[in-house]
Amino acid sequence: MSLRDAGPPIALVVVFGIFAVLSPDFRTISNVQNVLDAAAVLAVVTCGISFVLMTGSIDLSAPGIMGASAITVALLVANNRNDNDLGLIGVAVAVLLAAALGCLSGLALVVLKVPSFMATLGVSAVGLGVATLLFAGVQPNITDPMLEGWAVERFLGLARLTWIAVACVLLGWLVQRYSRLGRYAFAIGGAEEVLALSGVRVAPYKVAVFTMAGAFYGLAGVLVTSQLGAGLVQAGRGYDFSAITAAVVGGTLLTGGRGGILHSAVGVLLVTVLTNGLVQVGVSPYWQGGVQGLIVVAAVAAAVIPQRRRNQVTK
Amino acid sequence: MSTPVLAKPAPEPAADPTVKARPTTGQRLTSFMPVIALVVLLAALTVADPGFLSLNSLTAAVRTSAPLVVLAAGATLVVLCGGIDLSIAALCSLATVFFALWLPDLGGLTTLAIIAATGAIGALQGVAHVLLRIPSFIVTLGGMSIFTAIALVISDAGPIRVADRDATHWLTLYVAGVVPMSFVVALVVVLVVSLALALTPLGSWVRATGYSESAARLGGAPVDLVKVAAFTLSGACAGLAAVMLVSRNFSGSPTMADNLLLPAVAAIVVGGTAITGGHGSLWRSLAGALVVTLLRVGLPIVGVPSAYEQILYGAIIVAAVALTLDRSKVLIIK
Repeated sequence: MSLRDAGPPIALVVVFGIFAVLSPDFRTISNVQNVLDAAAVLAVVTCGISFVLMTGSIDLSAPGIMGASAITVALLVANNRNDNDLGLIGVAVAVLLAAALGCLSGLALVVLKVPSFMATLGVSAVGLGVATLLFAGVQPNITDPMLEGWAVERFLGLARLTWIAVACVLLGWLVQRYSRLGRYAFAIGGAEEVLALSGVRVAPYKVAVFTMAGAFYGLAGVLVTSQLGAGLVQAGRGYDFSAITAAVVGGTLLTGGRGGILHSAVGVLLVTVLTNGLVQVGVSPYWQGGVQGLIVVAAVAAAVIPQRRRNQVTK
Repeated sequence: MSTPVLAKPAPEPAADPTVKARPTTGQRLTSFMPVIALVVLLAALTVADPGFLSLNSLTAAVRTSAPLVVLAAGATLVVLCGGIDLSIAALCSLATVFFALWLPDLGGLTTLAIIAATGAIGALQGVAHVLLRIPSFIVTLGGMSIFTAIALVISDAGPIRVADRDATHWLTLYVAGVVPMSFVVALVVVLVVSLALALTPLGSWVRATGYSESAARLGGAPVDLVKVAAFTLSGACAGLAAVMLVSRNFSGSPTMADNLLLPAVAAIVVGGTAITGGHGSLWRSLAGALVVTLLRVGLPIVGVPSAYEQILYGAIIVAAVALTLDRSKVLIIK
């Protein structure tokens, strides 16, 4: 394990230690539970975005896709707007819709050759539009006991949501480690030309990566709905940026080819501990986004220092 | 050193000198796209509602478009250099808060102070981009969340009323009784910047940077300075747009301009400025901004629910980028 890989976990321990010393409220068991529960949604989003970042692309579509899936699931399980009561099928439909939206980003990238940040910005707007259409001015409150239970019922001290997130991280790690999709995602980020020249058809794998990312965002939208007890258009607001922050802090390079799910999971914990700790020591929660912005710029800048001489051109 | 590997050897361009730079019909059509779209939209709206082509509604439409024109014009410069500025809307929101807070102390100077402050913030992003070698969309994405955080903290997350309306009164006047002053100001901005680009070496430096940064560097263009200048102007334009918004809403709010990011990006790409840099102009963004504004005011007239607006922006951005992209330049799209 190189120093680069060991950095984020060490930072996590150090940040945790600093806040534990500074704030007596921070170092309680219940607060640690809070941190883990609060990290759940971000962990699922970051699982999705990590694969996209591995290929060297970027994904800004999380807010739109999460909004669309949040409203969809709220309207399909038992709710106050209609008589649907589809339970898990509703969750599956929402995730499928989200995967379809993710697929759309991937297709725009490989077929229309639109750079990923533009394509996903567009898809995010489409997702928000779909969500607004379905929302139709009346907030759907869920009454489905299963979905409501996910956020409330605990298992081994943690909310069920958190266990779902843990399962997602595990699934993401297995895909990354053992599936062709995961291995190729790394290779695409490392050297796409070489991969293409060795006879691999790169395009389908890129579309698959975006589709999978969409599915993860969809699940994250469902989790937010479960937490809030209602479907909101803004369910995913800010998650795109937080997830990029988490991935970058965890050691994923934006140029692709480095990092991974486990790196990102550490990044998620780091971001969540920082958010929680700053609030505990009395910093206004409004600073949250600002702190993340600084971290991203600093982390990306630190990551490009070794390649300064080579990267004369930055866009 | 890594050299890009071409899957197929590029055809020798020097072999046949006659195949030089004659635009195809398709290229001609896309270069007039924004104007065509504008005319078609106007015609369609007039058919849908004959009352639309009246002086009143047209005046109202250009008046609404003014902040968007200014925002898009500033960001166009960054896009021409080959980068992107995603922070314009957040910076504009922050500037509305600054305006509301500074007005009691600074009075008539507030507008200038705002433009100077946002210009400086833009320059800071530019410096971070060129010195730290961070991609522009990451710098400005980071900037976006930092500006929002600052705006939320200093405004306590709520709107601040602007009691003194004299400072922005001039923007609500009408030139010759017809043309809204804010739109005239927007036109002046586009005109002045376009002239500055055309009459000084700046224009060719910006274009050279956008077309091929390494070639521009080797050719002696001050690439880094040009980029910082583009970001500075983009920031200053966000400040001016903020003053226009305040003149209309009589308040500053940390989220006031946030929903202008997508329309501004859409205006730039619909105008036909290539997201890959180099090709495009501020006039194109002006036309693009008018198209976007007409769509915005037009959708309810045709009876389409405004929720479709977002979907339309998304589709437009993707389609317009796909049409205007300079494919010869990028072998691999990330």
